[in-house]
Amino acid sequence: MMVIECIVNDKKYVLEVDPQERLLDVLRNHLGLLGTKEGCGEGECGACTVILDGKTVNSCLVLAGQAHNSVITTIEGVGNRQSPHPVQKAFVEVGAVQCGFCTPGMVLSAKNLLDKNPHPSDEEIGVALSGNLCRCTGYDKILRAVKLAAEEGK
Amino acid sequence: MKTEVVGSRALREDSWGKVFGQTKFPADVNLPNQIYGVVVRSPHPHARILNINSEEAMKLEGVAVVLTANDVPHNSHGVLFRDQPVIADYVRMVGDPVAVVGGETMEIAREAAERIRVDYEILPAIFDPEEAMKPEVPPLHPELQSTNVLYHLPIRRGSMEEGWAKADVVVEQVYKTQHVDHAFLQPEAVLAYLDERGHMVVQTATQYAHYDRGEIAHALGFRYSQVQVKTLAVGGAFGGREDISLQIIAALLALKTQRPVKMENTREESFYSHSKRHPMTMYYKTGAAKDGKLVAMQAKIIGDAGAYSSWSINVLRKSAVHATGPYEIPNVEIDSFAVFTNNPYTGAMRGFGAAQTVLAYESQMDLLAKKLGISPLEIRLRNCFQVGSITATGQELTSSVPLDQCLAKIAPYFRREVETP
Amino acid sequence: MKKRGIGLGCAWYGTGYGNGFPDVSSAFVEIHDDGSATVLTGAVDVGQGSNSIFAQIAAEELGLRAEDICVNTADTDVTPDSGTSAATRQTYNTGNAVLKAVRQAKSRLLIYAAREFSCPTPEGIELKSGYIGVKGDPSRRMILGDMVFKARLNGERLISAESSTARSTPVDLTTGQGAPYWPYSFGCQAAEVEVDTETGKVKVLKVIAVHDVGKALNPTQVEGQIAGGVTQGIGYALLEELELQKGMIKNPAFSSYLIPTALDVPKIEAYFVEEAEESGPYGAKGLGEPAMLPTVAAVINAIDDAVGVRITSLPATPEKILQALAEKKEELG
Repeated sequence: MMVIECIVNDKKYVLEVDPQERLLDVLRNHLGLLGTKEGCGEGECGACTVILDGKTVNSCLVLAGQAHNSVITTIEGVGNRQSPHPVQKAFVEVGAVQCGFCTPGMVLSAKNLLDKNPHPSDEEIGVALSGNLCRCTGYDKILRAVKLAAEEGK
Repeated sequence: MKTEVVGSRALREDSWGKVFGQTKFPADVNLPNQIYGVVVRSPHPHARILNINSEEAMKLEGVAVVLTANDVPHNSHGVLFRDQPVIADYVRMVGDPVAVVGGETMEIAREAAERIRVDYEILPAIFDPEEAMKPEVPPLHPELQSTNVLYHLPIRRGSMEEGWAKADVVVEQVYKTQHVDHAFLQPEAVLAYLDERGHMVVQTATQYAHYDRGEIAHALGFRYSQVQVKTLAVGGAFGGREDISLQIIAALLALKTQRPVKMENTREESFYSHSKRHPMTMYYKTGAAKDGKLVAMQAKIIGDAGAYSSWSINVLRKSAVHATGPYEIPNVEIDSFAVFTNNPYTGAMRGFGAAQTVLAYESQMDLLAKKLGISPLEIRLRNCFQVGSITATGQELTSSVPLDQCLAKIAPYFRREVETP
Repeated sequence: MKKRGIGLGCAWYGTGYGNGFPDVSSAFVEIHDDGSATVLTGAVDVGQGSNSIFAQIAAEELGLRAEDICVNTADTDVTPDSGTSAATRQTYNTGNAVLKAVRQAKSRLLIYAAREFSCPTPEGIELKSGYIGVKGDPSRRMILGDMVFKARLNGERLISAESSTARSTPVDLTTGQGAPYWPYSFGCQAAEVEVDTETGKVKVLKVIAVHDVGKALNPTQVEGQIAGGVTQGIGYALLEELELQKGMIKNPAFSSYLIPTALDVPKIEAYFVEEAEESGPYGAKGLGEPAMLPTVAAVINAIDDAVGVRITSLPATPEKILQALAEKKEELG
């Protein structure tokens, strides 16, 4: 076991973890942050996307030890009903949510894109979301929602 | 009729919980004192189980129970026929569950599953439906059919002799489609427990909670009124959550251990624990007269049902009924077959037998148009169903047949030249 | 060289269980003292949005907003059996059951209100924008909740249980003759593709999809079903294939079983045609499955239009296309 320190959704944690544990399990099992989903366990689907030190990562591929001294944002740290993030608001308004299993990861990938590049081209949006699989929507409304969120940020 | 809410772009209430990550899918619910279930699956496509040795698994600390076929009160389930074992003692496909482990943690359960030794008597397996349907091949389900042909539907309409006589052009072609997975994003997961009433509660993602309830009750010997299936958020389905996957196994573990049971498939396990889209081989021969009117069609459609019947009868029926495409053809001879093999079982998937035939009938339309020297749009306009049309099964389409309106809307895209890069 | 082509695909789809199998949906409805209402039905929302459709139907009938309706589904201790969320049947079939149940629950209210307003028939009463009143007479109306409360104090109970059964007869097992499904949905799609003759890769640039929906109960959801269907159709046509070796799946992972990503999807233009199906709720019929059907044909026909080869087995992989191109070259000699 090892002790790691990290900041998750602006809150500081000192956690005793198995260094071989995945960050995904730390978030879900230790912290009860169940909005981070597991869809494949091999970094292909993006359902477990979180933002780690400003970059989106598949939390199923990050070991707990690697998260030591990092700053992490999960879906629980992005907006709420009183004050949704523009991406979340756009997803709901445009109809970009169907089954919703990919949604947390999608929202985080989109948020991180807009944080870095507030006015992305269609191509840049596609590339930023290409690591997040969705089987329901055909991506069409998701891409439109991200575009809308970017426009509203102008 | 003028409406206000119906027809509006009303927002989905559930989408808020989903964008905030609050929505509970079955993997997101847990209970204190729960154990974790893991399935041991057959690596062989056709085998009889001679012996299962779980001694090494039981030696592992934290293993609560190992269950095999003998532990299931009524060992069968299935949407049309109960021809699928909950836990198999006779294996018909790779991935059939042969044992189930309950452990204090997922890791312990997985390690114990690897320690279970299964002795198989490996039997000859068959993978090609056209081979499997030969009468001399031993049937996989003698209780259902004396051959591997689970279902044959002939459709006969008009006279083929007259039809071919009228045909000025004929196109003959074989089409093939592949096994496809639903690939819904959320792998199967279940939480099962006996509640304070003594009722079996199963929380899961399914397409049909009431069906699941019946199958769980049947397998465990419960009354329907003593089984509650509560559907949590469903992470996509597309037909892949029609058949039972983990629901009965989890409930059985809960019954045997009297503890809550959590099960969660990995992606690899998910590929083995739900149905697939039927691969089909489709032999098509279609004839048209010089005026572009379809006059005759003959089709033979062979669908690979895999190891269990699931929805295969309904799927191949749908293939046959839709085999002409949305076109009037007066002379038709269609034969569709669902055939058992030792491939993964096939069942419902979006399109349900009509997704395969569309490749065949629409390719035929383009090939005929080319031979006739008319455009793909034109041949469709000359043959498409309208109100009053009669289908190959003799059904009159009495209302709402606006394919011509759909084609009219799309027509402008075919009148312009395709840009060249 | 990159060559472009355009292809057309049409499809039809009989919705419902079919073949005479009892295709029944059920719903319970209760109108509450403040005028809001709860709908209980077994239909599972698998992500397609059926719960919202049921809320819209109930709201329409009660003159409320969709958010005033609580839709609780798919809990076998609570909700009645509504059949499976498959066969493109929930909007049509359970939609019909919900519609019947709401109308049944409000029928006693209409009778009560007619008496209150001294209106000769219940047909003269309407529920609109949160009010209940006499049609065409704005002076005789009341907040819906107030009327419900009054009615309930007077012993009325605004609850209902209703079912709806789809039309279907079995086909004859020797001739296939019969009327197995109702209603049928239709649609057509055009796909524009670009084929790289060096690599055999196909890129779908654009899909125009036109579908018959009877009546679009929610246009956003119609578009969502179409885009999702088109994308699954592209996966089926070009990418997806379970590789089997003696019954063993060789690619049980998303790294080897490829489904479309955001970069694989074309521009999708979704249109719908509304010609009411008289048996459907507000004229609606289902769309879920039909949305993916024409795509395969449109893509395969577009490949032929672009490079003159006919792919007859799915998926149309680069290998198959290169081989077909090579064979064609040989033929032309």
